[in-house]
Amino acid sequence: MNLLDGLWGILDLLLVAVLLLLAMAAVLSSDRRRSMMLFIVFGLVLALVWARLHAPDIALAEAAIGAGLGGALLMATLRRDTHQQTDQFPQHPVVLWGAGVLVMVLGTMIAWGLFSVLPTVEQTWRKGAAVDAHLAFSGVSHPVTAVLLNFRAWDTLLELAVLLAAILGIRALGYVRSAYVTEAAFSQLAVWLVPLLILMAGYVLWAGAHSPGGAFQAGALLAGAGILLRLAGYSHAGLPTTRWLVRLGLVAGTGVFLLVGLGLLGWGQGFLHYPVAYAKWWILLIEMLATVSIGMTLTLAFMGGIPQKEAA
Amino acid sequence: MNEAASVVWVISLPLLGALLATVWRQRAATIGWISSALTAGCAVWLLWVVQHAGVQQLALGGWEIGLGISLYADGLAAVMVLMSSLVVLGCSVYARQYFRAQRQHELFWPLWLLLATALNALFLAGDLFNVYVTLELLGISASALTALGAKRAALRAALRYLVVGLLGSMLYLMAITLLYAAYGTLNAVQIAEALQVNPLGWAALLLMLAGLALKMALFPLHFWLPPAHSNAPAPVSAALSALVVKAAFYLVVRLWFEVFAPLTTPLLANVLGALGAMAVLWGSWSALRAERLKLLAAYSSVAQLGYLVMFFPLLMVLEGEARHWLFGAMVLFALSHAFAKSALFLAAGILMQYAGHDRIRELSGTTQALPLTTFVIALAGIALVGLPPSGAFLGKWYLLDAAFKTGQWWWVLVLVAGSLLATAYVFRLLGHAFGHLPAVKRPIVAATQEMPALALALLATFGLGLGAMSLWSWLAHTGTGAGL
Repeated sequence: MNLLDGLWGILDLLLVAVLLLLAMAAVLSSDRRRSMMLFIVFGLVLALVWARLHAPDIALAEAAIGAGLGGALLMATLRRDTHQQTDQFPQHPVVLWGAGVLVMVLGTMIAWGLFSVLPTVEQTWRKGAAVDAHLAFSGVSHPVTAVLLNFRAWDTLLELAVLLAAILGIRALGYVRSAYVTEAAFSQLAVWLVPLLILMAGYVLWAGAHSPGGAFQAGALLAGAGILLRLAGYSHAGLPTTRWLVRLGLVAGTGVFLLVGLGLLGWGQGFLHYPVAYAKWWILLIEMLATVSIGMTLTLAFMGGIPQKEAA
Repeated sequence: MNEAASVVWVISLPLLGALLATVWRQRAATIGWISSALTAGCAVWLLWVVQHAGVQQLALGGWEIGLGISLYADGLAAVMVLMSSLVVLGCSVYARQYFRAQRQHELFWPLWLLLATALNALFLAGDLFNVYVTLELLGISASALTALGAKRAALRAALRYLVVGLLGSMLYLMAITLLYAAYGTLNAVQIAEALQVNPLGWAALLLMLAGLALKMALFPLHFWLPPAHSNAPAPVSAALSALVVKAAFYLVVRLWFEVFAPLTTPLLANVLGALGAMAVLWGSWSALRAERLKLLAAYSSVAQLGYLVMFFPLLMVLEGEARHWLFGAMVLFALSHAFAKSALFLAAGILMQYAGHDRIRELSGTTQALPLTTFVIALAGIALVGLPPSGAFLGKWYLLDAAFKTGQWWWVLVLVAGSLLATAYVFRLLGHAFGHLPAVKRPIVAATQEMPALALALLATFGLGLGAMSLWSWLAHTGTGAGL
């Protein structure tokens, strides 16, 4: 056992070292394209680190959203940018050194704060004790889903509103210009992958009740299907062709979440207070619509909106 | 319906409005102002509830505090919600006319109502992580609204605003991570009870102060504010200057006086006060030199936020009744600035629609053409300088009084210099506006645009000045422990 622990320890150190190097390389690289690639790799290594920290939910989300969709968004941005000069990073040495010193001070401060209490933390509280104690009354058996959709549902509801604000903000930046070249290889790929991705999204959503998964990961998979369709030449990326239906899809998650919360308040239960017996079904309903909204929001974010010309 | 429901409704109504306005685009403006009006009504109800039934604490989902999230409404929170809802209502009535026949209006309304949601949710949050989520919603909707200015300068300002806002949120989030690692809870009251004086507490306090100082544009971190606030559409500028920076200030007050009370020292308060003093001098000086009315208003916001921070070192040394009065004066000053500054930005918007520009030197004839708008500018100016009977006058009076009582006379010098500079920039503006032109046609300005501006300006001057006494009794409704 000790040998195995030692090996894992070495692996962890390696992961952390690689993570730091990737982060520095991504920030310091003067070429945008390389910087972006390094950032995507950074996201994947970060997902591994989360997995090593026994946080599979965050690892999934990091890989799907941080590295996958984040990378796709960055690629789309870079592609729109190609006609401009690419080496415009403001890398004045004073700025760079100033930022470096500030980050060092910040890091030292955080480390100082953490090390001052770390030895005593174990005795004062155990993480998740309260969550475990109440898990049986939450309607689901996976603690992360219980926290996101029940104990701290208000945070999640507002986070969905943040997504809505983000996509409206992207629309506020102006009209969309088509920035993709349709490639035949993608349409072949799409035929195989899109149904598979939708099926996987459904599974990840359902699995969220008892094991890692849930609306955000499932939504990211749906968005992956949407992006694939867009790259394969479908101008609407599988989204409804009626505009108000798209908008309805964007608000569905937040809307149903809020209406369930207010409905329970009117029922005399209290805002977002699910009755224990029905909690599972309310959570499933909210998660399903949230998945649709998240998938549509992320796909639209990638497209920057539905292009005017192709929409006809 | 039970009393605690008022807390839920002031947040849910604008959110419902935002969702409806997204889907039903043709009716977005109607949905917008109706839900703002209903929210304002609920805000009055909430204040009434807090005054008659005491502090409201609502455990969402029925979970025990620490596991679930709680909403917390005491006198201060209810007053801030009412302030924000009234300003949002005024701007909504104005925006109906302002955005008429403009492409942006369909994106304006959902984002605008999300901004209102974020503000009310922030004022009522009782949980430090929930505050982070509301800060995110606030920052993203605010910068998206800035981008609606559509000009290149507006887009650049919006992007910088977004990045600065995210940086501030990240610093705040790091502080929460530290606190959660040490105490295992995110609830503000529980953290306040458990907080110990140790390096971790210091690190958390400094990180939060740095993040929020960036968001409230405290000197020298104000660099992003003038371009963002002066390039946004008029109703957006009004809300950004009046409310969004005020939300960060509200958090600093809560954290400083309630959550981190054992850690705060007079030395740190004096550092903050000194930054505030520099903000007053630099902001007022830049406002005096500004060539454009909206830029003047934006720099004046930097100065006014400086005054608010100058209350801190004095509040640290005062105790009991005197402290209660000074604290109320600080809140009164914040409210007065919110109403006056939003009125000023709305008036500037009317001017820009009429003249096509807001260059101060070329405003001659404004008084003849737009008498009511000029009156609004004058009223707002009275509140910005701090002349009686405005709320800012009482605020400055108590600040002066406290500075003499505690022997910290140097703040008085800043106060006098700042007020003189403010007088100069307000009268410079009015001097140009009163310039006489031989023949000016009276333009047709919709009353729905001038009236909300006038109402807000009147609130800042006569409303708050003459009705200030009830504020102190509202603020007396605070919880036994620390709330947030």
